[in-house]
Amino acid sequence: MENQDEIPVEPETESSTFISAYEADDWSNYKDSDVMLQQSAIFEEDAAKSPFVGDKEPLSSLEAEYKSGSPILLEKIKVLSEQYAAIRRTRGDGNCFFRSFMFSYLEHILESQDIAEVERIKTNVEKCKKTLQGLGYADFTFEDFFALFIEQLESVVTGNEAPISHDELIVRSRDQSVSDYVVMFFRFVTSGEIRKRSEFFEPFIFGLANLTVEQFCKTSVEPMGEESDHVHITALSDALGVPIRVVYLDRSSCDTGGISVNHHDFVPASDDNDTSSSAAGGSDPNPNPNPNPIPFIVLLYRPGHYDILYRK
Amino acid sequence: MVDFSRVQKELQECNRDINVSGISVNPKSDNLTNLIGTIPGPIGTPYEGGTFKIDINLPDGYPFEPPKMKFATKVWHPNISSQSGAICLDILKDQWSPALTLKTALLSIQALLSAPEPDDPQDAVVAQQYLKDYQTFASTARYWTESFAKTSSLGVEEKVQKLVEMGFPEGLVRSTLEVVGGDENMALEKLCSG
Repeated sequence: MENQDEIPVEPETESSTFISAYEADDWSNYKDSDVMLQQSAIFEEDAAKSPFVGDKEPLSSLEAEYKSGSPILLEKIKVLSEQYAAIRRTRGDGNCFFRSFMFSYLEHILESQDIAEVERIKTNVEKCKKTLQGLGYADFTFEDFFALFIEQLESVVTGNEAPISHDELIVRSRDQSVSDYVVMFFRFVTSGEIRKRSEFFEPFIFGLANLTVEQFCKTSVEPMGEESDHVHITALSDALGVPIRVVYLDRSSCDTGGISVNHHDFVPASDDNDTSSSAAGGSDPNPNPNPNPIPFIVLLYRPGHYDILYRK
Repeated sequence: MVDFSRVQKELQECNRDINVSGISVNPKSDNLTNLIGTIPGPIGTPYEGGTFKIDINLPDGYPFEPPKMKFATKVWHPNISSQSGAICLDILKDQWSPALTLKTALLSIQALLSAPEPDDPQDAVVAQQYLKDYQTFASTARYWTESFAKTSSLGVEEKVQKLVEMGFPEGLVRSTLEVVGGDENMALEKLCSG
């Protein structure tokens, strides 16, 4: 929850106590690593105040957050509330995109009991496993994370046992030993997809970070807490074949003066016959009976953070 | 809680191709949280011919948290503390990922031996020397490799012990031996001339 309220620095920064402390401390004694440790400790402390996945809140709670804030944002929230009823916040720990995706997807399966979707995604998960093996990842580095995701997936559908309750899903999503494993599973899947299609992703990555594809995956995808961008979302959506809608809540306004809220749908590249589809692309009049499925996963993006949105 | 089944698999995998990589990881005790890694000094560097031992400590959060690694063998390198063996390497800090393994971390440390980054030092003294007087740096690093990272370094320990028995303080003996390049007689001469 990186809202503006948290941005101002401590008032002591400008007081004389700080200055004298500054002079008393010999900063050359502080190594970069100490500063980094301290900084990450501060972030962790802040993040720990909110659960990995919060409770469902009415959209009015979002409005309350900006009560004395930007009028553009308040207008936009009003527009949002025509379509969306509720928000579920996730912890701002750099894993919020993956965590939002995890909860939103599992919750959808739990509520829809869409067995066909479960079978479909399992096929994709198998493909992702092969991708990683093909890229030279040792099985033991990823197999536990894959197994845990499949376990969660199976627990939300009726199989030999009844599915878990919605409350249990929330409990698990807040349990680090489940939640972080699933986040890491998505990080593996994302990294594998980016590296497998490195030619496609290379220009985006180069524009974003001036890194090679492999460096990008090592530094910005695979470590926990690294924030997600378009590249991550595209790769995860493609790899698992799950469309994702991202609704943008920022201060940008339209030229026309009217207030509207932008969204972008990440629609997975058709993965049926990867190789033949490009060759036969133009000749097939109807490659996909439903070319623009409305994503059941809707995330609210505010600069630096993703939460889950619920339609009316 | 450390994921021990994963650690077991890591040890097996790492030690399987020890002949190729020269890198090994072995438990220090039977609880698998304290391990010892071994890396050969890279060829063509002042560390060539040395065998470096790395102390590995697995935190409870492993593999989500990075393994704690430091040199148990003394080494002269800009990114490794000559005092404590602490290593300045991003993947052992915020760039760690569960996708990495003890072996890949050790390989990265080996790569660090080949390619020091004096602009991001762990040991400021060594880094300064590396930047300002590379020749002295290289010969010191080589001497440290000879003295501490070779099995024949037992020879050095014997020399130290011998000189200490003659009544010279150990610290002085070591520094004198270092200055004269490990030559026992020259060291004795120097120590006597005081």
